Amino acid sequence: MGFITSLSKNAEQTIRSIESGKSGFKPLGLFPWPESQVPLAGEVSIPNDTAYPRTHLLASLAIDEMTHFAGLQPDAIVVGVTTGGMSRTESLLADQNSDNRSYQFHSPATIAEMLARRFSCTGPVITVSTACSSGAVAIKVALELLASQMADTVLTGGVDGLCRLTYYGFDALQLIDPMGARPFDKHRRGMTLSDGAAFLLLTREKEFEKRQAAAKILGAGLACDAYHATSPHPEGDGAFRSMTEALNDAGADPLQVDYINTHGTGTVDNDLSEARAIRRLFGKHVPPFSSIKGATGHSLAAAGAIEAAISGLCVSKGLILPNVGFSTPDDDIGIIPESVARKKKLNIVLSNSFGFGGNNASVVIGSPDLKISSSIKKKKAWDLEIVGAACLTGAGGLTETIDTLTHSGYCGGMLSDRDVCRRLPFRDIRRLKRLSRMALSLADSALSSMTGDHAPRSLILGTGWGGLSETYDFLSALLQLDSSNRYHSPIDFIGSVHNAPAGQVAIRYGIQGANITTVGGDASFEQALLTARLLTATPDRMVMVMGLDEYHHVLSPRLDRSIAGNENPADGGGALCIVPRAAGSKGVFIDIPAFYFSAGGDEHKMDRLVNDLGGRDRICSRYEIVFVGLNETDNRQCYRLDQFRRISEFQGEICEYRPFTGRFASASAVMTALAAHFVRQGKIPHGMRCARNAPLVHRGVLILGLGDYISAIEIMPGQG
Amino acid sequence: MTIEQFLEALKVKLIETLNLEDVSPEEIKVDDQLVGGEIGIDSIDVLELVMMIEKDYAVKISNQDLGKKVFSTLRTLAEYIYKESPEFQN
Repeated sequence: MGFITSLSKNAEQTIRSIESGKSGFKPLGLFPWPESQVPLAGEVSIPNDTAYPRTHLLASLAIDEMTHFAGLQPDAIVVGVTTGGMSRTESLLADQNSDNRSYQFHSPATIAEMLARRFSCTGPVITVSTACSSGAVAIKVALELLASQMADTVLTGGVDGLCRLTYYGFDALQLIDPMGARPFDKHRRGMTLSDGAAFLLLTREKEFEKRQAAAKILGAGLACDAYHATSPHPEGDGAFRSMTEALNDAGADPLQVDYINTHGTGTVDNDLSEARAIRRLFGKHVPPFSSIKGATGHSLAAAGAIEAAISGLCVSKGLILPNVGFSTPDDDIGIIPESVARKKKLNIVLSNSFGFGGNNASVVIGSPDLKISSSIKKKKAWDLEIVGAACLTGAGGLTETIDTLTHSGYCGGMLSDRDVCRRLPFRDIRRLKRLSRMALSLADSALSSMTGDHAPRSLILGTGWGGLSETYDFLSALLQLDSSNRYHSPIDFIGSVHNAPAGQVAIRYGIQGANITTVGGDASFEQALLTARLLTATPDRMVMVMGLDEYHHVLSPRLDRSIAGNENPADGGGALCIVPRAAGSKGVFIDIPAFYFSAGGDEHKMDRLVNDLGGRDRICSRYEIVFVGLNETDNRQCYRLDQFRRISEFQGEICEYRPFTGRFASASAVMTALAAHFVRQGKIPHGMRCARNAPLVHRGVLILGLGDYISAIEIMPGQG
Repeated sequence: MTIEQFLEALKVKLIETLNLEDVSPEEIKVDDQLVGGEIGIDSIDVLELVMMIEKDYAVKISNQDLGKKVFSTLRTLAEYIYKESPEFQN
């Protein structure tokens, strides 16, 4: 592991500083503050670099700390990030820079991609963006990659650099304590934001025995409050469930927990609800607990990874850390954190990370010599059946889109706000902008289309660019880009977070299980689908998988290079309701047999894809048609398609779908929802086929992505 | 502008700021509880109003205890702004 906090760039030094009660807070110096009393921040001093933005540099510094693993080559990478290159984007927008190459590091996904290139990782690369729980959620996804045998070693972690959006955003929500964070203290007033990064290299137990590991990750649990966009559930309901799930996953009992590293941000509501959840779970046996955020500050997506790493060090050192900043007990909280460092043999440590949207994650860390049945063991993979599907395009919902495809072909464009919101009560959407409104509309349609009696338990949503309307409106007020946004709105800040749409869907439909937002440009939906695949290790549970993006007239052309030169703005998305396949079902099935990052040269990439799909004969007999989402500005993709055609010897039709769906990051989600419909109906609309009009009986559809991520989604009819 | 006139103007501002398109100014009762009352204003709306009031009336309400008193009803809010804002000082 390697991590960097406001206290030090070195792990050992960070631990020593927390032990001695120090904090890494200084008056905010990274950007100007309008008032004379400058609030505190946990800034890491890093050298100026013109090549990479702050978050990327922090990630690189943390990776450099992983000296034990020099020469490592992970099979997969999962990173939690919220801000990505936002600090750079803010400066570029302020300078009115319209060269889209300058914005190339905006996406949170660019950190995982940078690391994948650095380590020549050609396995699954996933970026999760679930606000302040991102780092811990990334660890959960990494554990599931190991359990599924898709990877033997996974590099995982979290990173976030300070930027104006988050600092002014949390300030507008009055969640920053001007005195510095004082978690669990009676007089606490909020958090202290900070820079941070942490990475961990995880391996399965057999591999792990060969190495000198500091600690084991025994399991992790995810739960969503489905209660409010920013406030935690007052009784800590989601926090209680995430801790319970994590302990179940680890095969541990609450009484075995020796120490809790709490989320403990220092906000009035978080600390109270977390304390209530702890009291509910542990009753009279609350183990020693503390928050390190009074020392390190709150580094958002990095926090969960830093704290899992620190919990690992606590296990290996037998050390309980003090809750820096705490002095006065709070009767409402009713439990008292550790105030001084002390030695204690720790077998099991629980580490909590909670975030906006009621996204809760808990990680269980154990001593390497502990013998319990942990989660990193093979789990059964279920075949997945699509029981509901919906899409949103310029033409409208699924029915209108199919109609348009049948008669004229192009269904791209931007659906009017009135049509997006047609079925949504005004009161539920008054504070939401385009992306969240689209998410609610899609979820509503997908659930209405369902066959059978299911209720969604989890929600995995992929978005290439997040809530661009809110992001732009907030930044435009802050940077005074245009006069229509008079002040930086706290409501816009809440909506600007990548996981805001998924949070809204969870609240509206009471989806209380895992709630994950994945980000990865044109492969965002594929990342979501793979993540859903990994998490459906338990039967009878429905997961909703969505992919959606909005077009924004200023930001989209700058940020999304895959739409460069395209004069037809388009947006929308797709949503699927997926359940583990019931025995004998004749429904429509979905799988993602290939998903990997395309680092390095092009040699063998298509050989591997053909191989992952089961070879030539299987491809030719299994699929009636192959849909491919080509990005016209990327020559490699056309080359790869030619190679795929040559190596697979696929004789059927290969159809480029973006000329039908419109060009945007999540167009593959639209295509997937459409394909589910085609396979169910046994035919493809005339407008979309140029070749013979053979029915789709007994054969399926393959959807390929050939960009930075190589992906294949297959939709198959059931036998019958 | 009298305080009564300002109260009427503030109703319109409230509807506009919080996108309460389905509420008419007449429906807002100035002495009713503002937060958690019938028109559905919650803590996030209050934060949005804090920003609007700071920008449009140059009145800062950053202290949560003060906020609770000021945002008690629309009348208490109007009175506070009316008293504190340079816009209403002669």
